[in-house]
Amino acid sequence: MTREEHRIVQALDRRSFMRQSAAGILGALATGASRPMCGQSKPAATADTLILLWMAGGMAQTETFDPKAYTPFQAGLQSRRVLSSFEPIDTAVDNIKISKGLERVATIMDRATLVRTYQAGDLGFILHSRHQYHWHTGYAPPLSVAAPHIGAVIARTLGPKHPDVPAFVDIGQNMEIGAESDSIKAFHTAGFLGTEYGPFMVADPAEAVAAVRPPAHIPAERFRQRYERYRKLAEASPVMREGGSYQRDSLLKSVDNAHRLLLSPAGKAFDLSLESKEIYDRYNTGRFGLGCLLARRLTEAGARFIEVTTEYIPFRHWDTHENGHLRAERMKADIDAPISQLVRDLEERGLLNRTLIVLASEFGRDMMTEGKPDRPVKDQVNTQPEVMTDIKHYGMHRHFTEAGSVLLIGGGMKRGFLYGETANERPCSVTSKPVRIEDLHATIYRAMGIAPDLAYEVEKRPFHVTRDGKGKPIAELFA
Amino acid sequence: MRWFLALIAVTCASAQSLSLRRPAPQDTRPGVTAIDAFVEQHWREHSIKAPEPISGELFARRAYLDIWGIVPTPQQLNNFKSSPDRAALIDRLLADSRNYTEHWISFWNDLLRNDEGVVYHGERKSITTWLRKALEENLPYDRFISALINPAAQGDPEGFLIGVNWRGEVNASELPPMQAAQNSAQVFLGVNLKCNSCHDSFISKWKLKDAYGLASFFSDGPLELVRCDVKMGETAAPKFLFPELGSPAVGTSLADRRAAAARLFTSPENGRLPRTLVNRVWKRLVGRGLVEPVDDMSAKAWSDDLLDWLAADFADHGYDVKHLLRTIMTSRAYQSPAVDHASKPYVFTGPLVRRLTAEQFADSVASITGEWRVKQTGTAGAFVREWQVKSNPMTRALGRPIRDQVTTDRLDQPTTLQALELTNGVTLATALLRSSQRMLGELKAPPANLFDSGVVNAQRVPVDIDITGASKLWLLIEDSDSYDRTRVVAGWLDAELTGPAGTVKLADLVPKSPRRMIQPRKASPGEAITGPLSSRMIVDLGGKPFTRFRGAVAIDESCLISEINPRARFFVFREEPDPQLLVRVVGDPPAPVAWKASSLDQTVDMLYRHALARPPAPAETKVARSFFNGKLSADGLEDLLWAVFLSPEFQYIR
Repeated sequence: MTREEHRIVQALDRRSFMRQSAAGILGALATGASRPMCGQSKPAATADTLILLWMAGGMAQTETFDPKAYTPFQAGLQSRRVLSSFEPIDTAVDNIKISKGLERVATIMDRATLVRTYQAGDLGFILHSRHQYHWHTGYAPPLSVAAPHIGAVIARTLGPKHPDVPAFVDIGQNMEIGAESDSIKAFHTAGFLGTEYGPFMVADPAEAVAAVRPPAHIPAERFRQRYERYRKLAEASPVMREGGSYQRDSLLKSVDNAHRLLLSPAGKAFDLSLESKEIYDRYNTGRFGLGCLLARRLTEAGARFIEVTTEYIPFRHWDTHENGHLRAERMKADIDAPISQLVRDLEERGLLNRTLIVLASEFGRDMMTEGKPDRPVKDQVNTQPEVMTDIKHYGMHRHFTEAGSVLLIGGGMKRGFLYGETANERPCSVTSKPVRIEDLHATIYRAMGIAPDLAYEVEKRPFHVTRDGKGKPIAELFA
Repeated sequence: MRWFLALIAVTCASAQSLSLRRPAPQDTRPGVTAIDAFVEQHWREHSIKAPEPISGELFARRAYLDIWGIVPTPQQLNNFKSSPDRAALIDRLLADSRNYTEHWISFWNDLLRNDEGVVYHGERKSITTWLRKALEENLPYDRFISALINPAAQGDPEGFLIGVNWRGEVNASELPPMQAAQNSAQVFLGVNLKCNSCHDSFISKWKLKDAYGLASFFSDGPLELVRCDVKMGETAAPKFLFPELGSPAVGTSLADRRAAAARLFTSPENGRLPRTLVNRVWKRLVGRGLVEPVDDMSAKAWSDDLLDWLAADFADHGYDVKHLLRTIMTSRAYQSPAVDHASKPYVFTGPLVRRLTAEQFADSVASITGEWRVKQTGTAGAFVREWQVKSNPMTRALGRPIRDQVTTDRLDQPTTLQALELTNGVTLATALLRSSQRMLGELKAPPANLFDSGVVNAQRVPVDIDITGASKLWLLIEDSDSYDRTRVVAGWLDAELTGPAGTVKLADLVPKSPRRMIQPRKASPGEAITGPLSSRMIVDLGGKPFTRFRGAVAIDESCLISEINPRARFFVFREEPDPQLLVRVVGDPPAPVAWKASSLDQTVDMLYRHALARPPAPAETKVARSFFNGKLSADGLEDLLWAVFLSPEFQYIR
């Protein structure tokens, strides 16, 4: 809240202001250092909550949602002959096949729109964190202004759904991951919008409740007393007699909001131990699975934007530089049950219609092409021989920016719908309906009721939420 | 990035000339500073009565925070009260180059996009060594700028022109010469070239050609104009932003062009350079610029005379930044009570209330609690101030920026996420837990390590240490930012323990620990006891009187590839280590411990004096006592520290 806005709040009836309050009240006021400029024509929202399931590290599309001809491994097999290392399987939709290992997701494909033609940006020599930055902000660094994460834009524009729940929660990503820590931090931020709209980070969903509880070593009663005494101490300060309203109230208000969150029943949403063992176990494939469970609970409680990531750590998880087949198998085992359960649970609770789930990754993968077929970039894989001798050679080890898959479920999207096509022969390029990040973002924003040309003012210039305000929602995807 | 149609009105530019005027203050009575003479004039015009200056205590707190970035100790405050000469205090604080540098370096890091240890897999170069020295020596600002614009000498700050680059291809508007043009224009001259790095600006007079003209001074070869990603088939020539400075011969080599740029930026005729800097410093000290926004110096100042007088005075005193600080801080304008809001239209009625920056908060808390951050170097560590180490969740929440972009104005409004971080975040909670125990003398001194390998990558480091009298050994392998720590094979090679009864292999003492051969680079292989990074192994010596532990530590050669890039650090302790302090810390903390908690009332009294620069009122003592059950305790102190550090009075500079 800027000082000017603070003054406006002062003018409001104090008690009525206090009544509504909590964690997101500042966000709910929809104010901040930067003001919206254009894009005021608000489209009607088809979703109130967004859950982004982030397949960090580059999910191989031909091993998941865009299977091609399957060639089993055998020593002596030529690398270039392998398009998919898994068999395709049937789904609940006749014309959609996905990869073996995603049997549960296959059963909910009738609720999903599948986009097979996401084309990542051409950023040259590939760096995961740079592509992730691009996906999450719509802009590729370096930039002359600190771009906000899409979650921060949504938090800034819409505020929280429930005032006691943070608007933007980010689940599963540790910030200290070694050498790429700085580049990961660079986009897990609200940028110029200000920290109020930044992510509430929950690295480990199993311990999420710690994020909304007093410090572990301080018992609840002591914590409550500490705050009570703090208020008394602050009230006794000369600031209360001599200072203006900004000095008197602004900081206390923020501390008050924090305590409301920490003491609010809404904080229970973070506590996975309140789930039945049966449900907990259905989700619990590990951190990602529990992250999906937490996302469901936060959706029910009133968060606005939730990202659950398989976690980006260089060379791990979806970042399969070698041994891609076995590792994709394990990744699919991690995501299959929780994603399908999340969809079913939200549906059962009547929330899927107004909750948009987006599953995406920074780019796809291929065994042979690094970059795009017509724009190859510096190769980063040196363990892909022409003829495979070891199972570790078998899998999608190169970064493929030509095509990747995106799943959109609920929140006003079509059900059982397939959009875009890629060729069945290598290089498996996009043959129709390419989707760029600005249009994907525009689609997401449109579903959330935000105009793609919405802009916030920074340094007296407009910063558009999709690149230059030019993103176009893909009308065909909407039900 | 492109900036299309802006729906904002063009700010009306003032008809300011480029060169400095030297307006004379009207009130020339002795004791009235020139700044105050101009301010009085401003106040007369707006029928404002001059406020009384703030108290000595408040002034001292402001002065320490503005020059050193930490609150004054009770002792320092007493010293000042016994000889309350404000100008003398300012001089004394400015004379302490180390503390001055450790505070102001964050201001410059924000402007120059410099940070500690940040890597983007693209070219970027720290300028910390140079910057620190420049501040310590109070390098005149014109020479400071020359070194940044034209880093020709050994040790000059090349990093500024290199910019922030990420691996891969970069948009034409963000190539290093364009970044250099944008940033030098914005930071040094208050000219925003970001719109017109892509197309002619819609909100200012600047054209695409102007951005390319300036960028050409920093480019190795000719730059082709690119308008919104479309090449225009036209090559830019070096052209400075202000034609008033003429178009001197520029030369053909990059070195010549940079030198020419440095001359233009620092030309005595270029009043924009000192105006922009004095305005930034005024904002830093007073909360709002004479011109706002500070990055658009074509806007009108609330007192053009004051702006130009300050800029001229600064230039006439050899571009001495400390002189500028002294000039502003000795004015009654600076010493007026802080006000809450900037009125619209703006009238100066006193400094704006400012919030402690992340660094001021962290360093002030540390100076009171003794809980400093540790910077690891070689085989030792040092207690350091916040700026010297990477940001943590607390300082990021409080606004320490990710310095990809120039930061000229940190948002300082309190936010809920900040309050959450300060209320239940691990950083502050851990610091307060430890410091309350330390202040009461209850914190066990951290045991010193017997061995610290320093960061190990390819080298094999021998271990040969005295362990006489030890009954157990703690063997730690810590991660030091490996790329993929899960794949690092590291261990204790050929390790053995010797005593009067002979020699025993480490492997025999820890029969269950994993072992394998490790092949260090350029050294012979050895049988190793291995452990994952960030693990500890406790070795029970079984009561045997061993005297030495010998062997080596190393990482297997197979891990020495870029996608693992192992960096491990090995430690040996004979007592349970303190995880916060594995390294042996040498040297003094940035500020000595000012006082120890001895009794309840004394603690409350000293805490108030230190944190808030005043003793507690009786009513406050009463509330403060309620944190304790009648006697001084770590729990109570921890909670009281928290309450004081989160109070508006602590966090605001009033």
